[in-house]
Amino acid sequence: MTTLREENRDRARKMGLIFFPAFDWAITPTHPEREERLLYTRDQIFEEGLMDLPEVEEFKPRLAELKDIARVHFCIPSVESLVTEAHLIAAGSTLVLADAYMKKEITNAFALVRPPGHHSMRVAHGNRGFCNVNNEAIMVEYIRRKYGIRRVAIIDTDVHHGDGTQEIFYHDPDVLFISFHQDGRTLYPGSGFVDEQGGPKAIGRTINIPLPPETPDEGIHYVLEELVLPILKEFRPQLVVNSAGQDNHYTDPLANMRFSAQGYAKLNEMLAPDIAVLEGGYAIESALPYVNCGIILAMAGLDYSNVREPDYVPGRFSMSRTMEANITGTVEYLQGIWDAREELTATAVERAGPFFRRRKNIFYDTDGIREKQTESVKMCPDKSCPGYMTIDTDAVRGYGSSDSGFGVFVPLFACKRCREEAREEYEAHKTDSRYNYIYFQDKNTDNFRLYSTRMHNERVY
Amino acid sequence: MLIGIDVGGTTTDAVLIDNGKVIKTSKVPTDHDHLLECLMSALDEIVRGASPKMIERVVLSTTLITNLIAEGKTDPVALIIEPGPGMNPEGYSLEGEVQIVRGAIDYRGREIQDLDEGQVKNAAAKISERGYRKVAVASKFGQRNHSHEERMREIVLQVSPETVVEMGHQASGRLNFPRRAATTMLKVAAQDRYREFADQIAKAITGRKIEAPIYILKADGGTLPLETSVEYPVETIFSGPAASTMGVLALTPPGQTSVVVDIGGTTTDLALILDGVPLMSSEGAKVNSYLTHIRAFAVKSVALGGDSRVRAADGEVTLGPERAGPARCLGGPEPTPTDAMRLLNLISIGERSLAEEAMTNLGRDLGCSAGEAAQKVVDEAVDMLLSEINGMFLAWEEEPAYRVWEILQKEKIRPQNVVGVGGGSLGLVPLVAEKLGARGIIPENATVANAIGAAVARPTLTLTFRADTERGFYTVAEDGTTGEVKDRKFGQKEAEALAKKLIIERAEKMGIGEYASEAEVTASEVFNMVRGWSTSGRILDVGMQIPAGLIPEWTGGGR
Repeated sequence: MTTLREENRDRARKMGLIFFPAFDWAITPTHPEREERLLYTRDQIFEEGLMDLPEVEEFKPRLAELKDIARVHFCIPSVESLVTEAHLIAAGSTLVLADAYMKKEITNAFALVRPPGHHSMRVAHGNRGFCNVNNEAIMVEYIRRKYGIRRVAIIDTDVHHGDGTQEIFYHDPDVLFISFHQDGRTLYPGSGFVDEQGGPKAIGRTINIPLPPETPDEGIHYVLEELVLPILKEFRPQLVVNSAGQDNHYTDPLANMRFSAQGYAKLNEMLAPDIAVLEGGYAIESALPYVNCGIILAMAGLDYSNVREPDYVPGRFSMSRTMEANITGTVEYLQGIWDAREELTATAVERAGPFFRRRKNIFYDTDGIREKQTESVKMCPDKSCPGYMTIDTDAVRGYGSSDSGFGVFVPLFACKRCREEAREEYEAHKTDSRYNYIYFQDKNTDNFRLYSTRMHNERVY
Repeated sequence: MLIGIDVGGTTTDAVLIDNGKVIKTSKVPTDHDHLLECLMSALDEIVRGASPKMIERVVLSTTLITNLIAEGKTDPVALIIEPGPGMNPEGYSLEGEVQIVRGAIDYRGREIQDLDEGQVKNAAAKISERGYRKVAVASKFGQRNHSHEERMREIVLQVSPETVVEMGHQASGRLNFPRRAATTMLKVAAQDRYREFADQIAKAITGRKIEAPIYILKADGGTLPLETSVEYPVETIFSGPAASTMGVLALTPPGQTSVVVDIGGTTTDLALILDGVPLMSSEGAKVNSYLTHIRAFAVKSVALGGDSRVRAADGEVTLGPERAGPARCLGGPEPTPTDAMRLLNLISIGERSLAEEAMTNLGRDLGCSAGEAAQKVVDEAVDMLLSEINGMFLAWEEEPAYRVWEILQKEKIRPQNVVGVGGGSLGLVPLVAEKLGARGIIPENATVANAIGAAVARPTLTLTFRADTERGFYTVAEDGTTGEVKDRKFGQKEAEALAKKLIIERAEKMGIGEYASEAEVTASEVFNMVRGWSTSGRILDVGMQIPAGLIPEWTGGGR
């Protein structure tokens, strides 16, 4: 046995990569989420010969199991009806990399896959913001279940607020969700403001950093340096996930930021995520080939200084005084929230009473669905129990049919009492004719049940 | 009559085939300093008594290029590369004289930075001063726009007119710039030596009044006329394993899935035939330390053979990787796997009593009887082969895929046959086959299967076509052919028809026009380009090939 000498240790690093461009899948032929999206990225990374590098190992995707989806989502009317094979492969790709990472076959990983997922919420009636199911959430819950880790940080670096991921982990004190994005007053989905801070039992575990339009590399790196990295250091996650959208780029057609390929590469170097998963990014020629090349090189620990867009010159974009003041103000405010998270949690729990309730209206832009939800979380007196949750959902498709459901969700590390109560709620609602579907999800026993009140049958995933 | 000759590392084998039957074989030791002489003496032995007029086809497979490159006997080459944006070019690990120049072409063949001609001039002067007379020029995405490579070539020739310059897009047009640069370099490095050899062969064969066309076997199991092969010298590398695999294809029932096990003295080559088609390596071959674009069969070389060194330690045996010499039962110094097989009566060559003596000695170190020691050696050899074979199937199953249908259709495949060729196969192949639940086959003439494979292999050809209707042109990856696409309605049907026309032209140019009709479409994709919410054009990719296969003279017309 030879041991690696200090100076050679870095050579032992290997980045896992799955490139799944789904060249035979599109939402519609002219939709931004179409076959062509990663075509030029393929050309660039293959022409670079990145797959030949000893620091990069390419993996083959697989299909996720329906159960992996059910572990996260209450799909209406069923998992099968909501996902295509392409969705199962995109989600499955993250699981292949998760296994390789957890078994230490690789140092870190990048799932360069489509279709994306970060706008998909816990209850899924259809496609929202180009997403059907949430790839990162599916991966995180798979890892937590299979490998028994508890604390996870998800950093959403897409230009759009990662509202789906936020919603799924909103009440989970063990999952830190940080999203920086173009200010929701100026961009889809119109959320992600500083006051969305997590449920009463998880205040400060959701952190939203809205940035002014036209924020350049400098601004995002400032946020990372001053806010994200210090919080991560304190939170001590066992896994760091980058929900890696590429639409902060200065050429993206759907947003207005000023981020460059160099900026993205440096971001990944600074953040050093264990696993990155591609989200949005629709400047398929001017940004994606270069951004992806930069991210792969940075994650593989290689020199990325030669990666640049044809029209990019260093110093092309700079911050105005107003923009700088805006960003530093946001960072300072959020630092305060993070520092005070324990007191804020105690106050919020007390104010909520026995159950925390909120109503939400959710719009599915792609599928034209309007959903109304009432969410209710038990404020369990056991401090270490996140409490079980129920969601009452009613969705109207276009001008036609409506689907209603009632879901009962038991998070990991819930106490015995909450688990029992949740199960009773599920059984009791099976005869509730106001709902078409009743769903039960217990992550502690990995048990997922979907009951149809019309057909009187139960499906166990 | 057909002739196949394989100049291998140890022996040179030749066969004469008439009416689909092997009628004569020969085997002479290979002398690496006199390859031509070996080749001709193997040839002379099989044609003795036959009329040269009866010979219709001569196919050669040779280690010449493999050896020249391995021994560093090719010509020194300087490389000028235009890497453009991307990886730091210092990371490409292209050894030797490499000059880097500014300029860039993008993935759609658009010039995104002018070529810095002054830099090219300086590089050319430096190279010339240092005595290089062979230069390879390569630009990233040069296969989609040749202008920078052509300009670099012109400048080098202006600076030193006696230089030979090869351009990347003519060596290969497949994506992967570092591989293309390396392939271009090897091509120009091997060209002169290969041409000399080809000329000598042509002269020697015609000197024997044989007027039949002469072909050379490539690493992808296809043949190429000798006179066109001088343009593609490195494609002939690793043709030995390709010859054996083609031999197995010829000697087993069509359409089956087989493992090819070629056990030699020091190494065993493993290859796969899936449903009657030899498995190609998804990437190009690795030549010394260079990753290239050379198409080759997926061959796995294992450091285990009949003459491997046998060691005993802690009651276990280890085999190889080096050669111990001839087997004890054949008069060699040490126990070898051949001795173990002899003692167990798996083979019948050599002196059994000597094998017994060798195994008794080994048994003493292992603390067991001669028979038990022999069994341990054979078990270890079988285990080594099994794990490599399973690894190959697994690697095939785990090949990355980029389309939904590819992931859905790929199933687990296991071999029907384990086919042994080469000297050491007789004893081990049936045992390996049994463990895999497959049929063990040692075909008649197994020891010259390589030469048979060469004799009956047909040409192969690939064509990778891409049209970009928005920019209005198409490119052919293999040789850099480009042309205009004017019709805005140019669609998949038109793309496939044009690709078909181009592969026929290419086949004719390479002297294998009679096989062009065998070309099949292997991939066809259309990407709608949408700019500003409306369709602005299409990118159409069409892949075509004439896959490795057998000539009709052997199969009796069919395939």
